Amino acid sequence: MKELDDIAIRIAGANGDGIETSGEVLARVLKSAGYNIFAYRSYQSIIRGGHVWYQVRFGSRELHSFKDKADILIAINQDAIDNQIDHLSNDAVIIYDSKKMSIDKYKDRKIRFLDIPMLDISIENGGDPVLRNIVGIGAALRLCNVDISYLNDYITKRFSKKGETVVNNNISCAREGYSRATPLFNVKADPKVKDLYLINGNEALALGAFAANCRFYAAYPMTPASSILHWFAANADKGIVVKQTEDEIAAINAAIGAASAGARAMCGTSGGGFSLMVEALGLAGMIEVPLVVVESQRAGPSTGLPTKTEQGDLLFVAHASQGDFPRVVMSPRSVREGFYMGAQAFNLAEKYQCPVIILLDLYYSEHMRTISIDNLDIKIERGKLIKEKSYNGRFKRYSLEEDGISYRSIPGTPGLEFVAPSDEHDEYGNLISDYYAGIDQYVELRRKMHEKRMRKIDTMIKQENIFKPEIEKEGDIYLVTFGSTTESAREAIIEFEKQSSYKIGLISFPYLLPLDKDKTRDMLKDKNLIDVECNYSGQLAQLIAANTGVVIKDSIRKYDGEAMTEQYIIDRLNQIVKR
Amino acid sequence: MIQELQFSYRSDQKPVFCPGCGDFGVTAAVIKALTDLKIPRHNVVVVTGIGCSSSIAHQFATYGIHSLHGRLLPVAMGVKLANPKLTVIGAGGDGDGYGIGLNHLIHTARRNFDLTYIVMNNEIYGLTVGQYSPTSLKGMKTKSSPYGAVDNPVNPIALAITAGATYVARGFSGDIPHLAELIKNGILHKGFALIDVFSPCVTFNNYNTYDWFRERIYKLDSSNHNPKDISKALEKALEFPNNGIDRIPIGLFYEADRPTYEEEDITVSKMSVSEADKPSRELIEEILSRYR
Ligand code: SF4
Repeated sequence: MKELDDIAIRIAGANGDGIETSGEVLARVLKSAGYNIFAYRSYQSIIRGGHVWYQVRFGSRELHSFKDKADILIAINQDAIDNQIDHLSNDAVIIYDSKKMSIDKYKDRKIRFLDIPMLDISIENGGDPVLRNIVGIGAALRLCNVDISYLNDYITKRFSKKGETVVNNNISCAREGYSRATPLFNVKADPKVKDLYLINGNEALALGAFAANCRFYAAYPMTPASSILHWFAANADKGIVVKQTEDEIAAINAAIGAASAGARAMCGTSGGGFSLMVEALGLAGMIEVPLVVVESQRAGPSTGLPTKTEQGDLLFVAHASQGDFPRVVMSPRSVREGFYMGAQAFNLAEKYQCPVIILLDLYYSEHMRTISIDNLDIKIERGKLIKEKSYNGRFKRYSLEEDGISYRSIPGTPGLEFVAPSDEHDEYGNLISDYYAGIDQYVELRRKMHEKRMRKIDTMIKQENIFKPEIEKEGDIYLVTFGSTTESAREAIIEFEKQSSYKIGLISFPYLLPLDKDKTRDMLKDKNLIDVECNYSGQLAQLIAANTGVVIKDSIRKYDGEAMTEQYIIDRLNQIVKR
Repeated sequence: MIQELQFSYRSDQKPVFCPGCGDFGVTAAVIKALTDLKIPRHNVVVVTGIGCSSSIAHQFATYGIHSLHGRLLPVAMGVKLANPKLTVIGAGGDGDGYGIGLNHLIHTARRNFDLTYIVMNNEIYGLTVGQYSPTSLKGMKTKSSPYGAVDNPVNPIALAITAGATYVARGFSGDIPHLAELIKNGILHKGFALIDVFSPCVTFNNYNTYDWFRERIYKLDSSNHNPKDISKALEKALEFPNNGIDRIPIGLFYEADRPTYEEEDITVSKMSVSEADKPSRELIEEILSRYR
């Protein structure tokens, strides 16, 4: 038996083979066995056929990314072997079914094959072909020296509603698979895991938002943001208004309406839907409504690769909509951070009365991992929301305050009525776009009103002290990242430093806009930097250059639709340090 | 003081409408309806889009959101769902509601939110200085249709009825008491109310003038119409010059009693989320425990 820190098991087949469900079962079972989990799937924009896989990486320490090369493959069809054979580690094992698949082509490979009649076993035990996945999972667990009781317990819990027969069939299949393998690997369990949660990025974000009193979510279905909609819909009975709208235009405008009425409101989409939301984003900026927008990126442009990941929308969300207005763009670097950012976004939106964009990507949204959430005391900060005013006369909703933040009221509050206009306006909200535009006094007022809004940027930078990168680790060379790529970089650094004398540092950007230019520049200057991001043009590097003048020359970029992996970073790091 | 002010609905803002614009009549009718209903003004939200008529939001001393072109219905929906206790009135023009925002009209109608939507229909784009609109009659000559509009006009009444609106009426800003009554009943009606209003543009539409309407309109009442009968309502909706019938009914076309969206939504039926405190720590822990 070989002792390992972590193992990646991949189950692969076609759409409709139950690959995703089986992968989740495997992840939950391994979590219950006391392992840290990082699970990710690859799929396509079709409902049947094609090639899909689900990888569960489990280990004795916290895992930050999925593995390029799996150690065990459960092959559900021939395609699975043919497509995956080059994506396996050197001493990998393939569990396959020789009655359905052939390995003749691969006889001279070092890879080991374990032949199990998975389909026959499933037919003997109830006849549902999906059960062959359980046979494979049973065998894989045995290979990893994991006790079968964890699988049996999970099956009993998960399928008991479906009746005893279903449970028994599943357990028999698991046992058949288990008995046909022998232990080859062993990973030490981690006692801390029992206190962790196994959750995916979108779920963590939605839960964090709800914990911070997000009570309104509007969306039009779009991968990879749809599971946020599903989460809210499933939890609507806890007091959340969830509206699936006719399009993303309606979704964001409805969220603006709800936020104007005083609810903590959010809408979510991917890049294509965000394109439709752009006009209303500016409305939120102009009428100073606290709005939270989630944008989970997929590979573009246009429809692009709907089931593949990218970080190609950073500059788009940073600049979207006409004119200048303050906005926050934040991007969680890990699922755990996603929970807290989901909560924090609402405080920022309400304190600074501006749109807050949470930028995710498919990889973040869809991977599931074990995380700790230790602090549940979510603070609610509503900023300058008032119930009465201290002066006579009409309420000045857009009063020219020094810090740029005017007092806000919500409908239902007597004496604080006002009209929120998308046109430029005076302190009361009266239009200055019609009669008055161009008249000296109003030219001046427009300037002041515009400066008032824009002043919120300086105010939030000063008050929050968060709008700068984080130097997570010092080194001879620094990887510079944002969003989910950060986790891959963390993992790459751990592995790289095992093989190299170079110390690799990590500078990551949880907040992309606004940026404290001076502090950011000070943190970046005079360092060897490598820009690491999942897009073609280096959008983070462009944003950094525009804000600080620091130009990052070296880069590691990926735009093939697959996530940034530790191995991809390590290979390129090696090339860069050799120069 | 506040007590009295609660029921004074007119703002101190000078209207931007041209002298003679039909939107003056609509302003007066809305104020009359609110005055009759005595809804405290802080509980009223007027949501408008963009266009001459949408600036009507500034004529009222209520809460208001003067939003984007064509998007007032989704904004109004958001306000209503977050706080169903508010009286939410949408108001805008025909370009706003029947052109760029038509999609939202159909979906808002079928969901039957308790909203009142007033469309000031002048068959022209006024604010952009005179192009043909979705309700311009075929053949109408405008700056953007010098040879006559080729498009057939939208029939908002028929559209709203078939989409599922539960109160569909048409008024004329030349008859304020009649219009005010329609608006008042629209607000009282539980469900989505569309009130299409002929509101002449005296500056850019010299075809559909007050006189043009006066010559053709007649009122629907119990003697000539049953608004509970959907086929009759559709028949009346088709009475329009572009269908070869040179008379136009105004009044209540259709009225139905159906549960509102708010009554059927699992959350909105129970609470105003805009007033909710943050979920308890226990609840969050309970949800989290599912991921253990
Ligand atoms: S242009 Fe026409 S619609 Fe606009 S305010 Fe003048 S009369 Fe009214």
